[in-house]
Amino acid sequence: MTLQILVDGLIAGAMIGLGAVGITLTYSILRFANFAHGELISWGAYLALAVSSGIGFLSASLTVPLAPFSFGWSLPLGTLVAIALTALLALIVDAVLFGPLRRRRGAVIILVMASFGAALTLRSLLEFIFTSGPRYFTQELQIAIRLGGGARATPDQMLVIAVAALVVVGVHLLLTRSSIGRSMRAVSENQQLAGVAGIDVRAVVRIVWILGAALACIAGVMAGLLVQIRPQMGLDLLLPLFAAAILGGIGSVPGAMLAGLIVGIGEALTVRYVGAEWRAALSFVVLVAILLVRPQGLFGKADR
Amino acid sequence: MSEAAPVLATKSLVSGYERDLPIVRGVDMAVGAGEFVVLLGPNGAGKSTLVKTIAGLVPVHSGTVTLGSREITALPAHLKVRHGLAFVPQTENIFASLTIHENLQVAANILPRERRAERIGAQYAMFPDLAARPGQRAGALSGGQRQMLAVARALIVEPSVLILDEPSAGLSPKIVGDVFERLSEINRQGVTTILVEQNVRAALAIGSRALILVEGRIAHEGSAAALLDDPIVAELYLGARQAGGAAA
Repeated sequence: MTLQILVDGLIAGAMIGLGAVGITLTYSILRFANFAHGELISWGAYLALAVSSGIGFLSASLTVPLAPFSFGWSLPLGTLVAIALTALLALIVDAVLFGPLRRRRGAVIILVMASFGAALTLRSLLEFIFTSGPRYFTQELQIAIRLGGGARATPDQMLVIAVAALVVVGVHLLLTRSSIGRSMRAVSENQQLAGVAGIDVRAVVRIVWILGAALACIAGVMAGLLVQIRPQMGLDLLLPLFAAAILGGIGSVPGAMLAGLIVGIGEALTVRYVGAEWRAALSFVVLVAILLVRPQGLFGKADR
Repeated sequence: MSEAAPVLATKSLVSGYERDLPIVRGVDMAVGAGEFVVLLGPNGAGKSTLVKTIAGLVPVHSGTVTLGSREITALPAHLKVRHGLAFVPQTENIFASLTIHENLQVAANILPRERRAERIGAQYAMFPDLAARPGQRAGALSGGQRQMLAVARALIVEPSVLILDEPSAGLSPKIVGDVFERLSEINRQGVTTILVEQNVRAALAIGSRALILVEGRIAHEGSAAALLDDPIVAELYLGARQAGGAAA
């Protein structure tokens, strides 16, 4: 294995891991696999594109690249606004679709099917608004930096890894050291008991949607920055995200990130040694293998 | 009914998980401040459903629940806690994946920030077993320690009413004795206590008054001492084979 494969895998894995953290949070607390999470990733990227373009239109100086990166201040500022808008979108979807189903005590399969419907709707809406053609945050060319051992990475790629690491550490600290994090873990374990312990479960659910959407938006911006923005980008990421969330163990934030890196490196190895057309199959193999061998994942609890 | 002003009352309370299948079928009860009321009855009588309804975990079909002067019928469970109603479920009454300290912190969150440490400290003082291992994962505790943690969690908010659903379930007789002794002590400190129990004799020994629920309705009530010595009541509703025999 060359070092370049490892670097490529880490870059892809950082994006997958960040998305998987969002999946694992919503899965562990809302108790269903939200297949619309991929569309939150796509919407996050498009919203960041729209807002950063708007900012650039108002002030061209904010689009001047921040060396050594390929983008100007308009992108980070646009991303902050997009995080808020993606969270709002997630809350609207929950209020309109998932919330009423939960109140009717709908079966998990109904929630999962509803998430498929939400995904189709959100994706179609994106295509309607932005068309299906690819978009880019920036057209700037970047020169890859030598990392040693023959490996190279662009500053944007290294930034993506750094941002993913920072976000994961932040979410982990939020869950383990803050009162809202403890409440989220309590709700994840037992919603009824959380209620009689004085926790407003509905408020916690809203916070989970906000956090999950924020992570999806950041993952979308990272994917859009390194590859391109397309309405299908979230759908393409969905299988690796679920593979990583389940491999890491549902509910485990560090597990999801580590598993994301494993899936990313696995994809890079697959592309190098098997063929690019088998890249997506790797996630499926990982998913099936972990469900057969260790369904609780690397860091999950056996009784879940 | 108690002579003291009711701190908790239900009126014509009907509840159940399904709208067309009520389990609690018109319960009128009033519990006075500082009372220790034991709720008894045969299996399937609706005891657990009644206390879960009061706690906000089972839908109310009709009737009212009043805490002090405030009607709390439609309030969600977390708001009932804020108004002073604490509930300890029969099973899964602690957060097993959290540590002992985190279990207490979660419950203390609804208190003003400056009171949280003091209230957690008060629970450690009352339950030294917990204070000895605050960082231990709650899921690793013994049955008796789990009940202590569940009660400590409920007491964090200084409730006016503490409701416990079969805290003796699955515990050895010695541990049950410890738990009940602690509940008596809590009641003596002024916390109105409602105890659902299958362990009839032990419960009547610490309760001041008892209500007997049969088929979702209160069939009998009286002082705990009187019910303990009533052979007909014991045989009909408590499952005793003979006066003085073991109760179901």
